[in-house]
Amino acid sequence: MTELLTVPFLRHIFLAGLFVSIGLAPMSVYVVLRRIVFSGAAVAEVASAAVALAVLFQLAPFPVALVLTIVTFLCLSRVADSRRLPPEALIGMLYSGGSAASVLLIAKAPRGEADILNILFGNILTVPTGLLWMLVGVFGFLLALQFLASKEFLISAYDPDMGRALGIRIGLWNMIFYAMVGLAVAVAIRAVGALLTFTLLVAPGASALCLTERLSRSFKIAIGISVTAAIAGVVLSYQYDLPTGSTIVALLVGIFVVCFGIERVRR
Amino acid sequence: MAADLIKISGLAVGYGRSTILRDLNFSVELGDFLGVMGPNGTGKTTLLKTLLGLIKPQSGTIDRKALSGRLLFGYVPQRESLDMHYPLTAHEVALMGRFGRIGPFRRPGQPDIQMAHDCLRQTGMDRFADLPYRKLSGGQKQRVLIARALASEPEILLLDEPTNGMDMSSERAIMELLQTLQKEKQTTIVFVTHLLSTIERYAHRVALITSGGNLIIGEKKKILSAEMLAKAYITQ
Repeated sequence: MTELLTVPFLRHIFLAGLFVSIGLAPMSVYVVLRRIVFSGAAVAEVASAAVALAVLFQLAPFPVALVLTIVTFLCLSRVADSRRLPPEALIGMLYSGGSAASVLLIAKAPRGEADILNILFGNILTVPTGLLWMLVGVFGFLLALQFLASKEFLISAYDPDMGRALGIRIGLWNMIFYAMVGLAVAVAIRAVGALLTFTLLVAPGASALCLTERLSRSFKIAIGISVTAAIAGVVLSYQYDLPTGSTIVALLVGIFVVCFGIERVRR
Repeated sequence: MAADLIKISGLAVGYGRSTILRDLNFSVELGDFLGVMGPNGTGKTTLLKTLLGLIKPQSGTIDRKALSGRLLFGYVPQRESLDMHYPLTAHEVALMGRFGRIGPFRRPGQPDIQMAHDCLRQTGMDRFADLPYRKLSGGQKQRVLIARALASEPEILLLDEPTNGMDMSSERAIMELLQTLQKEKQTTIVFVTHLLSTIERYAHRVALITSGGNLIIGEKKKILSAEMLAKAYITQ
């Protein structure tokens, strides 16, 4: 088991899983409460189209995907602020549009489909040192932001009218929240792939909300669940020769089923 | 004559191209206890949100005269409008009232926490402070929301259907609490309700929105006359 910390590529898998799970867990509480769980999946499709676009025009794929992901989330923030349209409507359109655009662009791209998908949907088994440092920097910044601006994120999600009446700039804080999720998703997808990113953006928060009546506690529980699943997933996948990302996803879904069961029994 | 806190002149309010309220001219005075009533869908909540600055008027002016700096509102929304999925205690909800007084990137300190407790005590909810807000009864939730509004130390308190869906004793308790706040602290209160009996018992002045989107405002006795009510409630 010590190989996990001594062999460089195993250590990278372990650390990437750990950083991404800690970084996305607190955000997942608000992603669930704001009812935007499918935004991660939709934005993954947009990012995929962005990479295909970058490859087609021979640009650097990751910066293009990063910028387009953040811009997409900012557009979502405008809809979240709208009184006429629920966010799900645009998320659904983004998912369809992103999927179609990536297929069409990949069909015309000079590089192969597998090559493009590898550039976008990074593999947790091949995380380079540079990307690990990026994970530390980005998620460290996002965690600090969520801690310091917790009251702004709470009021803008829970009672925006009250927030506006108190003089808080709700539109701006919605934009910051969505940009934050966009940045986190873009970086996490690059490191651990789309499926694990999407699951980490939903499952820890959903599980934690089943277990507690305190919002502050739900963030801590979400981090605990996320880190436990990431560590256990890496260990189990190493021991039993299983795909790492899918093992972590399966554990997160299993934990959610248990938490949901506990919530139903407690009712 | 009391000073005006809010002075509205020639105001028209609506959504998109449709105008819901038109040609509004009235003032909310310091220490007022103003009840807003009218048939369903005539724009009672829209008027409240316009006073708060949440809806931009199509024309006309709203002059908000603060005693110092920005006019400070305490807002009590319809309690059904809040999402019950949020795991918040009564104290955490009341604490939100302090958020406007704490700068960005700063967390509530001990004085803010104490103020939220004090406001819960004022509304008789201090012993429920650590209970989940979503598990409280309708009347208890309303008291917590009033405590939240008070925690912002407002000059004016705006309440949207504060007794909606409550039994008579809960309704009386809430309205008597507001009455006490108005009498003892000289808090200016504007409340919206569709209940004629609530207006009749508690409001000092009445603003009646007619089915045509106009507003008639004045002393309770005058506004609650059969002639005025017929004018408001009978669609032309």
